[in-house]
Amino acid sequence: MQDVTITINGDIVTGTIDERTLLLDFIRDVAGKTGTHNGCLEARCGCCSVEVEGDIVKSCNVLALQVAGRSVTTIEGLSKERLRPVEHVTSQSLAGMYAPLEAMGADVNDLHPVQVAFHQCHALQCGFCTPGMVMVMKNYLEENPEPTRDDVRTAIAGNLCRCTGYQHIVDAGMMAAETMRSQPDNSRPAPARPAHDH
Amino acid sequence: MTQAPARPVASGVAAKLVGQSVPRKEDLALLTGTARFIDDIRLPGMVYAKILRSEVAHARVRSVDTSTALTMPGVLDAMCGADLVGKVKPWGDLMQDLLVGDHTPFAVDKVLYHGQELAAVVASSRYEALDALEKIEVDLDQLKAYVDPEEAIAPGAGLIQEGITYEFGDGNIFDRYKVRIGDIDVAEEEADVVVRQRFTTNRQAGAALDPHGCIADFDSFTGVLTIYSSTQSIYMVRDVLADVLQMPRNKVRVIIPEVGAGFGSKAQIFPYEVIAAIFSMRLGRPVHLVLTRKEIFQSGTARNGQVRYAELMCKRDGTITGYRDYIIHNTGAMSVWGNQVLHIGTNVGMLPYPIPNIRVDGDIVHTNTTPGGALRGFGIPQMIWAKEQLVDMAAAELGLSALEIRSRNVVRPEVFPFRTPMGHVIDSTTIYDCLQKSAEAIGFEEHTAHPTPYEGIGLAVSMKYTSCRHPSFDTDQSAVRLRLETDGTVTIYSSDVTHGQGHATMLSQIVADVLGVGFEKITLAQPDSLNSPFGLGTYASRGAAVLGTACRMAAERLRERLLTIAAHVLDADIASLEMSNDRVYIARLPDSGLYLEILAGIVAYRTHQLPPGFEPSLEATATYDTPTEREGADGSGNLSVTYSGAAHAARVRVDPETGLIRIVDYVMAHDTGVVINPLVVEGQHQGGFLMGMGMALGEDYLYDDEGRLLNASFKNYLAPTATDMPELDHNFEIPAPSLTIPGGQKGAGESGTGPVPAAVGNAVFNASGVRFTSLPITPEKMLLALREKERQGLSVFRFPDDMPDFTGPRTHAEWPEPDLSESVDFDWDSFDEIEDLELDDLGDVDGAP
Ligand code: FES
Ligand code: FES
Repeated sequence: MQDVTITINGDIVTGTIDERTLLLDFIRDVAGKTGTHNGCLEARCGCCSVEVEGDIVKSCNVLALQVAGRSVTTIEGLSKERLRPVEHVTSQSLAGMYAPLEAMGADVNDLHPVQVAFHQCHALQCGFCTPGMVMVMKNYLEENPEPTRDDVRTAIAGNLCRCTGYQHIVDAGMMAAETMRSQPDNSRPAPARPAHDH
Repeated sequence: MTQAPARPVASGVAAKLVGQSVPRKEDLALLTGTARFIDDIRLPGMVYAKILRSEVAHARVRSVDTSTALTMPGVLDAMCGADLVGKVKPWGDLMQDLLVGDHTPFAVDKVLYHGQELAAVVASSRYEALDALEKIEVDLDQLKAYVDPEEAIAPGAGLIQEGITYEFGDGNIFDRYKVRIGDIDVAEEEADVVVRQRFTTNRQAGAALDPHGCIADFDSFTGVLTIYSSTQSIYMVRDVLADVLQMPRNKVRVIIPEVGAGFGSKAQIFPYEVIAAIFSMRLGRPVHLVLTRKEIFQSGTARNGQVRYAELMCKRDGTITGYRDYIIHNTGAMSVWGNQVLHIGTNVGMLPYPIPNIRVDGDIVHTNTTPGGALRGFGIPQMIWAKEQLVDMAAAELGLSALEIRSRNVVRPEVFPFRTPMGHVIDSTTIYDCLQKSAEAIGFEEHTAHPTPYEGIGLAVSMKYTSCRHPSFDTDQSAVRLRLETDGTVTIYSSDVTHGQGHATMLSQIVADVLGVGFEKITLAQPDSLNSPFGLGTYASRGAAVLGTACRMAAERLRERLLTIAAHVLDADIASLEMSNDRVYIARLPDSGLYLEILAGIVAYRTHQLPPGFEPSLEATATYDTPTEREGADGSGNLSVTYSGAAHAARVRVDPETGLIRIVDYVMAHDTGVVINPLVVEGQHQGGFLMGMGMALGEDYLYDDEGRLLNASFKNYLAPTATDMPELDHNFEIPAPSLTIPGGQKGAGESGTGPVPAAVGNAVFNASGVRFTSLPITPEKMLLALREKERQGLSVFRFPDDMPDFTGPRTHAEWPEPDLSESVDFDWDSFDEIEDLELDDLGDVDGAP
């Protein structure tokens, strides 16, 4: 057993763990962030993808010890402000089309453009692959703001989805790329939080 | 809290939501990581169970010893098959006519497939449980394994399932299936062309990324067993589990977490659910049991493989007059659904042709392989793979194009409903138009006139049931309970699990339209057997048609109730009232009226304002059981309430150097009736296509001679990736609203899968001259075939089964009787001799020249 500290979405998280603990399990069990999923544990499905200081890592393929002291972003780190309390449930004033994000007290600006595009393009069905897919897409688009559809396909070739046939995911990638190009300053670093032990 | 902003008063009538691509309400939780899947649930005091699975496929169990494992650190309990004999009831088909108790939590006397449960441990942590598994001592006596279903029913084959008496089968034949429509002999005699071919299909996994798993939580004081399970059907799990454990059904509570897809592979109960339940009952603690990817491949069920000796009879003008088939249906070592897959897949797979003469015999066969199960398409892709290739073969002999022969035959009645000889009641369809559209969009005529070398076009059409009265499961019902809450919001209760289909959105669209309540005010409760109305579950593409209808009925009942109250309060005539914008109002005064929350408040808190004697209830329930029929003795029957149509056209390119097959264009033209949410339906078709493409070009279970599954991993199980897929932007909907379903909708979930392998197979033939008869069509097979074709100097040929003059057995009656007496006293130490014996006999069986 060993003490390990990893910064996750800006929170400093310390845990006493079995040396065999995967980064995936650290995120899920020590930090309590279960949005990062285990779909295979053999580095094939991409459901567990997270960012470690700007690089995409399949967290089932890395020991927690290997990223000790470093900073990790998970799906929960992309939309922190969504947690703002809901003040009012609107009535149906939206004759015609409905915009659920607004109605649930979260506006589009609370979500990362990749999340918004996934929602608008119906790029998720069961949603199990989605967190990994979104993390990979975000990371890719930050470095490649003007991809072709084939580029987007190649970027997510390490992530499996059994539901969508990928078509709407590629659509969402293209839409998100466009939004991100038009608002280059969408990277909102998460504010540091006081450290707490788990 | 800040003051809530003044409520804007909407004027006029809100637009209807059915038919619009409303973005899904389930997305937010899934996109941000707050959704809780089975592996995300943590209960206080939860402990972890792990299963030890057999490393061999067929063996007698001499002993399983958990005593050392029990002494390992952190281990709380362990058990194996022998521990449970007489304590739990075996299960199998839940359904009447088919009470086969072939499923047990663990192998007891015999292991039947690689990966079958042998023992399990539960420990404080996953690591401790895994360490303890290694200390379980297992003594097995390996037997000859049967992977090939034809080998399993050849004379002299050893028995796989022993000690079970099948009512209609014998030996390794678990059940038999037959269809007798018209007179096939006359059809054959009078046919101008008969095409015949043996076709085989592969085993495919659902491979939903969210693992199969559960958490069982038994309260030893109340005796309530709560089980959170990643399943498609709560009542199937509850009823079987309660029966297996001999508990009252209201003491078994099944709750659904977020379910990350299933595709049919979670539409049944599994041993792990029973194992977790028993551990929890023995320990009084919550027990977590989530399977690994390898375990899911091994035991999470796979598509039933088939061997089909199929024949199609046609007149000179292309009219299809007869279909004959002898099917060997490989359902694995055991199967809850295997039997049904053959019945339904074959019955519905006859569509979209109203074939007048049909004779089918099927043997449903056990092998030492992964249990067969439901998987997207449910037998239809297998049937279409054979039949639609025969159609192309017949067209070639008749000098017709693939489009001409299909245009002549697809069901296109002048009046609906129309009953086909097979018994399907077609209440509406645009399959003919879908066919024309798909051919046009792929450039069929253009390609036929100017073919490009190594590029080919293939067509295939199918129709998919969108509800199902299973032959041994005489019901097709779903239910919805709606509750108007006291603030004017609405809650939907249903037991049909949404796992990617978007039930919350789809049902809310229906409710919003009927009640005039805001979409955002409607919530779908997670299925929970303690308070959800009884329904069968989510499978058979039933969601839109059956659940959607139950929901519409419940909403209409609630509407009726609310209108009655409003009429009383407003002192108005009920016929003059409308509902929209969260209000009931007098039609000519759309800006006035009573808000739903006021009406709810009256029912809940001010009942003196109700009409005299009016029952103060805010709920309405409806159960919809479809007007479908049971399968007749001749195999005919209308098993589905309505049928979705799918006409697909594929354009493929074959690389003769590498054997690589690339789908460069793919057109899907569908009839899904009234489409509730176009974007969601399009997503279903695209996802359905992915499953079909995986089946056509790469996914398969690979076994060695001893029945070991070699590719239980995404490493070598070839699930399609984004780069394998063509752009799927050639989608067309040509709706023919169902006349039976009140809202006109049809199911969408599986119609995208059915035609894919056949369309690809036909396109590959068109491109390369090779008619593939077995799935999947891999680059290796393509290279082999091209080389063989060249060696034989042929321009077209069939591969690997080239048997145009097939004359083998066409019914099980022509099959040599299995010698049961010999298999019962089988001398397991000398199975080598038997093996030789089979090989001799197999020659006749195959009918190969
Ligand atoms: S869980 Fe890490 S790649 Fe599948
Ligand atoms: S949405 Fe289900 S796996 Fe991608």
